Order: sequence, then C-alpha cells, then structure tokens
Amino acid sequence: MRSISLYTERNTVIHAMDPISKLFYILFALLIPIILPSIKVSIVCVVLGLIFLLVARVFKKTIPVFSFVFLILLTVIIIQGLFRPGNQTTLFHFGPFTLYKEGLMFAFGVAFRVINIVSAFMILILTTKPSDLVESLVRKGLSSKIGYVIISVFQIIPEMMSSMETITDAQRSRGMETEGNLQTRMKAFLPLLGPVILGSLANTKERAMALEVRGFNSKGPKTYLLEEKKYRYSKVVQWGILLGIACALAWRILV
Amino acid sequence: MITVSNLSYAYQKGNPVLIDIHLNIDQRSTAIIGQNGAGKTTFVKLLKGLLKPFEGEVFIQNQQVKNRTAAELAKIIGLVFQNPNDQIFKNKVLDEVMFGPLNMGIDKQQATENAMEALEMVGLHDKLDMNPHDLSLSEKKLLCIASVVAMDTNIIILDEPTIAQDYQGKETIKKVIKTLKEKNKLVMTIIHDMDFVAENFERTIVFNEGKVILDGDTRFVFAQKDILKSAHVEAPEITKLGEKLGYRKTFLTIEEFIDYKNQERNL
Amino acid sequence: MKKIIVENLKYKYPLSEKLALNNVSFEIEQGEFIGVIGRNLSGKSTLCQAMVGLVPHFYKGAYGGKVIIDGLEVRNYSIADISLKVGIVFQNPFTQITGSKMTVYEEIAFGLENLGISRAEMINRIDFALNLLKIAPFKERSPFDLSGGQMQRMAIASIIAMKPEIIVLDEPTSQLDPEGSEEVFRAIQDLSKQGITVILAEHKMEKMAEFCNRILLLDDGKVVDFDVPEKVFSRDDLGEHGVNAPVYTRVCKALNKKKAGTNDYPVTLEEAVRVLGGMGL
Ligand SMILES: Nc1ncnc2c1ncn2[C@@H]1O[C@H](COP(=O)(O)OP(=O)(O)O)[C@@H](O)[C@H]1O
Ligand SMILES: Nc1ncnc2c1ncn2[C@@H]1O[C@H](COP(=O)(O)OP(=O)(O)O)[C@@H](O)[C@H]1O
Ligand SMILES: [Mg+2]
Ligand SMILES: [Mg+2]
Repeated sequence: MRSISLYTERNTVIHAMDPISKLFYILFALLIPIILPSIKVSIVCVVLGLIFLLVARVFKKTIPVFSFVFLILLTVIIIQGLFRPGNQTTLFHFGPFTLYKEGLMFAFGVAFRVINIVSAFMILILTTKPSDLVESLVRKGLSSKIGYVIISVFQIIPEMMSSMETITDAQRSRGMETEGNLQTRMKAFLPLLGPVILGSLANTKERAMALEVRGFNSKGPKTYLLEEKKYRYSKVVQWGILLGIACALAWRILV
Repeated sequence: MITVSNLSYAYQKGNPVLIDIHLNIDQRSTAIIGQNGAGKTTFVKLLKGLLKPFEGEVFIQNQQVKNRTAAELAKIIGLVFQNPNDQIFKNKVLDEVMFGPLNMGIDKQQATENAMEALEMVGLHDKLDMNPHDLSLSEKKLLCIASVVAMDTNIIILDEPTIAQDYQGKETIKKVIKTLKEKNKLVMTIIHDMDFVAENFERTIVFNEGKVILDGDTRFVFAQKDILKSAHVEAPEITKLGEKLGYRKTFLTIEEFIDYKNQERNL
Repeated sequence: MKKIIVENLKYKYPLSEKLALNNVSFEIEQGEFIGVIGRNLSGKSTLCQAMVGLVPHFYKGAYGGKVIIDGLEVRNYSIADISLKVGIVFQNPFTQITGSKMTVYEEIAFGLENLGISRAEMINRIDFALNLLKIAPFKERSPFDLSGGQMQRMAIASIIAMKPEIIVLDEPTSQLDPEGSEEVFRAIQDLSKQGITVILAEHKMEKMAEFCNRILLLDDGKVVDFDVPEKVFSRDDLGEHGVNAPVYTRVCKALNKKKAGTNDYPVTLEEAVRVLGGMGL
C-alpha cells in the first residue's frame, strides 16, 4: 500500500514538540560539527540524535535508511582509509593494501557528520506529520507554494519506494529474476532508477494541474481545516538551541 | 490447467481478502467479475506468484506455484496489470514489448518478430519509438496487453483491460482475445463490462467479499438474478432487457435477441 | 441564462501539428447535464480542460475563438479565478491527490483552505461531499491507500466540496464497478437538479443516454452533433465517428422500432421496454 509519508504515529514527547523546534534542531546538528570540528563533539551529537530517536520510539523505522547510509559511508571509509592524499600513519596491511590513520579519521569525521544530519532529519520526518510542519511554517508566513514544495520532498521518497516495488512486480511477471542473491537483486534494481524518476516526473505535470484547479494559486487569504496547534515550551526549546549554537561559536572563537 | 484449493490470503492479519477459494480452471475462456475490492486482483496475483498464499495451494499445469519464483512462472502465465503505469518501465514502446520475450530466452530476432506481431494486433505498430509515457491511457493499456501477448504464454490474464477504451479499443481487445482463444490459450479476464463478458467468455466466476459465490457457464451465471444482486453485480444490458420483457430465455448478445424476435414475428 | 458559451474555439497543443479542437461552438444553460462522447483522441479531455482555462493557460499553445463561462472570458482570467466557478475532475485519480495531506478528510479540505472558507463551513461541506460520494467510512485513511475506484470518488468529492457552479468530469467512473458508476451518476444528477451545470465525458453510452440532458458528439476536434440523446444516438453514422449507441438503441434500430410518434429510437431500458413490450410474452 502506498503511504505518502514516513510519519509514524506515537504518543511521545518528541511527537508533541513544535515542528519548528525540530527544524531548529536540524540547524543545530548541521552547524555544531562545523563550528566545533572535533570528533568527540560529533560523537556527542550523534548520541544525542540517537537518544531522541529512541525516546520517540521510531528507531526501528530508521534502520532501512541507516543501512543505506552505512553502505555509502563504508565505501567512503574504505576509499579514504586506503587512498586519501596525505595518508602517512599505517594502521595495518592486508594483502597489497595499507590502511592509514589520517584517511580513516577523516572518513570517520565525515561519517559522524552525515549520521548526525541524517538522524536530525529522521527525527523531523518520522515524528512530524508533514502537514503539521508545513502548516506551522505557512502560518509563520511562508508562502504556501514553498510549503507545498517542502512537503513534496516527504512524498517523493515513499512514492518512489512503492513504485520500485510495483516495477519489480512488473519485471518479475515478465520473467526477470528479482528474487535470490544480492547480485541478482542489484541487477534488477539499478535499471529501475531511470523509469521510476521518469514516472514521477510524468506525474508531476498532471499533479500541478490538479493543484491549480483546487485554487492553489488563489490570491486571497487561506484558512485551515485544523485549528492551530499550541505547542508548549516552543520558545524555550528554540532559544535554547540558538543559545547552544552561540555558545559553540563563542567557544570556537575564544578558546 | 489451474487448480486452486482452499486458498486464503490477507494483506494484514485479521483482515482476510480471500477466503477459502476452491476452483478448477480449464481451457474455457473465463471472466472474473465482482465489486471493487472483492479480491479479484489479489486472486490473480496469487495465481501469478506475485503474492504468496496465506493458506492453501495453487497448481498451474501441475507445477506448485509456491515452489516457483514469479520469474519462472512467467514462462507459462502472463498477467496484464490493472494500472498500466504499474507495468510500463521502458523508454520505448518496442523495448517494452520485447522485455518479456528476451527474458524468457527467446533470441533477439524471434523476440522482435513476436513483439511486432503483438503490437500490430493492438494497432501500435506505428509508434515503436515513442516513449510509453507519452501515450494516452487507453494506448498504454493496449501496450501492456501487447507486452504480455508477445510472451506467448499458455495462460493469459487481463486485469480490467477495457478501462478507458472506446468502441474501437474494445473491438481491438475482442480481436486479441479471439486470436488467443484460437491459439488454444487460456484467457482469463477481470472485467466490469458485462456486455463484454457475455459476448466473449464461456465461463464466468463471481467474487464477492473474498469468496466465489457463483461459477459456471456465462449464460447460467447471468440468469441467477438474486445471487448477482447480492454480489452487487448487474446482468448485461441485453439480458436485463429480455428479462424486463418477460422472456424466460437468458439473452447474452444483441444478435441472439434480434434473431429470437425475428423468429417470433415469423411464427 | 446561458452558463457557458463557446464560440469558434480552435486549439493546438504546443509542438503538435494538428488542431485538437477545431472550430467548436455550443451553448449550455444553467443546470444542464451535458455528456461529451467521441472516440479516443477526439478532443474530449481537451474540451474539458478548456472549460477551466488549463487550455490555454497551463499548456500554452495556439488558441482562437472564445470560451465564456458565466460572463467571464476564460482567456482573460487566471485558472485560480475560473476555478472559483468551475471545478474539474481528471481522468487519472492517482495524480489528482495533492500529496500534502494525510487523510481523505484533509485531502478534501485542500481546495477549501485555498479558497479561504471558514472552518465551520469547511466541515459542513466536507461531510456533505463524503456522504454524497459514500466515502465517509474511509475518511481517516491515507488518500494513497485507497483503491482506484475509491480514489475516483474522493477526487469528485474534493471538487464538489468547493461548490463550483459548473462541474466538469473527465471519465470519472472508469475505475468503478457498475454499481459504483450508477451511484456516482446519480450523485451528479442530484447536483445538476439543484442547478449546478455538469459536463461529463464518458464511454458508457447506456449511462450517458439515461442521465444526460444533451449529448455533445466530438470527432477529430469538431462538433458532429449536440442534441438530446435520442437524436444523437439515432444517427446512422455513429459508427463512422467511432461511437456505439446504447444496447437498447441498437436493438430497436435492428428491429426498426421507433419511439411512438417520433423518428427516434429508444435510448434507455425503460423506453425500449415500452416500445418492444406487448409483442413478446
Ligand atoms: N497492497 C495492498 N495492501 C493492503 N490491502 C490491499 C492491497 N491491495 C488490495 N488491498 C485490499 O484488498 C481488498 C481486495 O482488493 P483487490 O484484490 O484489489 O480487489 P478487486 O481487484 O476485486 O477490486 C480490498 O479491500 C483492498 O483494499
Ligand atoms: N498534452 C498534450 N500535448 C500534445 N497533444 C495532446 C496533448 N493532449 C492531447 N493531445 C492531442 O490532442 C488531441 C485530442 O486529445 P484528447 O483531448 O486527449 O482526446 P480524448 O480525451 O477525446 O481522448 C489528440 O490528437 C491528442 O493527441
Ligand atoms: Mg482490481
Ligand atoms: Mg480523454
């Protein structure tokens, strides 16, 4: 079944937070490791992110995403560990290859940042109804068109995943082996990307028309079906995050 | 050709979509009818091996579907999907139709021949290089039919082939079904157009809420007014007309009715 | 009052060499239920989209002649302005889902929010539309988790809730079972009886004959005929235009049974029974 968002309904503190605060947290996760490049800081941030995911009880849902991310990071780590220019300190050899400390540390740095950012986004995506997020932003004055574009990001990933599934069915039913070992599966999977993207593009035009005739571009003031949600402590959380970023900056400059 | 015994299926636990289906499907061309959501598509996906039965068995030409991958089954059973956008994934009409035959190990020249023949049958032979996404919905549906016909399987299932078709399109599909029948293939079709059922299928199976509630000769099935009503299915228009006029005979086609009327007049 | 006036409308899609609409002219009164028929690619969808201004505003292309909706000339107004008066339901229900709403209920609200309808009124209208199309039981489902037929009902409900004075529907029942199509046609007929003007393109001729006040027959972008169903379906040249008359008409034609006192053949079951009855039995 197609479901357009990865939002997972749970009754937790994280779910009850203002979506804007979660955006602030993404900013935080993005900036802190840049301001304070030490790997220790990155690790702290990653742990923080994972704790939030656990508290929100959505950790299981992140596994497919993280597996994909790890797959990519693994190649980064291997390539950087083996071949990064400036590699000096040998960690160990295997066969003709040598693994170096500098490259490895660099790659770990990258890896932590990526994981950190991915978890911050996962917190937002998994615990916030896309409509709540956009509505908060639009009520804050964001144009409803930009709002829609943001939301379509939420929609595109699951829609593509489900069209992968349907296309896999289409291939299997016409004699292409898609079950079995990893190689068979990859061989079936890679050529899918083109058509899936093409298919979503073809849909985009029709969808744009459907939006038009539902008054999407109408000039008058908008109203909302849902009453404005009141979030507690939003201001405190948001100022807290900004303060955190400011402190990090100060630390970087002063210390 | 197909034996289904005590087949059940559910997408989510506790919410059965098919319940204890027993069917023996033979060479007769067969229509599957029933309300939206009755489980028709689910049923044919199980035959095709795209879904695995929850309970029960499906045998196709004495092969147990459970033990075969969908790709292996593709050599004997072809399915045209309900929604063409779910089926099409190539960038060219000809490539789309050749995909199946090539996968089955048919050599390129023979595959091209099969594909061209199938495309000609549905009237798309002059659009070989077009991108399928630029075709209209009815053309996409015909393309999907051609893609499966080109595989030359013994069993062919069509899921709502007449969606979006005009008069010409329906005639084309009729012709395809007729050709397949002449080649001794088993044609099964899920369909809501009862006049089309009456004209083209020898056997009709009625699904309702996950169960088969009626099965038999098309004429027999369309005579069962009360059961059809309980399955929210209507008889063909011509059958309704005959019935309203008080005839005991169940008419299936306009020609039948007109002949009958003319004979009556000559008496 | 003339609700819709189309005068010498000509239209060509960009990059296309052929006119999709060629000198189309007709007038529609308020509250009429108009059926549009014709073979595929004859221009039905293009005509439907010209009623809301998608042709030419969305596609661009070459446009000549006039479409006047309730006094507004479509060419001079934006789609947003026209969509206050005219709602359109497209053929493919899947691409009509906005993709920004989590439930069917919210999905139907989308257009109302854009129009700035008050909350209380919104809820009234959504409930009305849900009930009219019989999809209230699914209102908490995700729009993408509906079957094709249910999506089609939702697409219609989404437009009806916007309360347009004119509703245009492009093959709105293609994915529905016969009972579902019947329900949808009845719901639309109710609206038309309340004064809403309806334009509906479909291939189901028996339904068109039963429900429409007048039928517009298109072929190759031109209007072949625009008349009551009996007249259009009694034509001898329907086949040449890629259309098949309703079963009842075909039977009566073959038996040469016309409606009493007219030159036309029956087009509905009831009429056919009246004409053919008395003989058999
Ligand atoms: N992928 C799916 N996941 C969950 N439920 C499904 C899925 N596909 C179909 N269903 C449900 O199964 C039932 C039968 O669906 P289907 O076999 O498509 O019916 P039909 O083809 O007769 O219209 C419906 O209630 C439908 O909502
Ligand atoms: N988006 C488009 N771009 C170019 N040509 C189009 C487009 N849509 C339709 N056409 C052309 O316009 C003509 C009328 O098509 P259409 O209005 O879709 O007919 P119908 O709805 O009756 O099937 C056809 O020749 C078709 O090829
Ligand atoms: Mg189905
Ligand atoms: Mg059309």
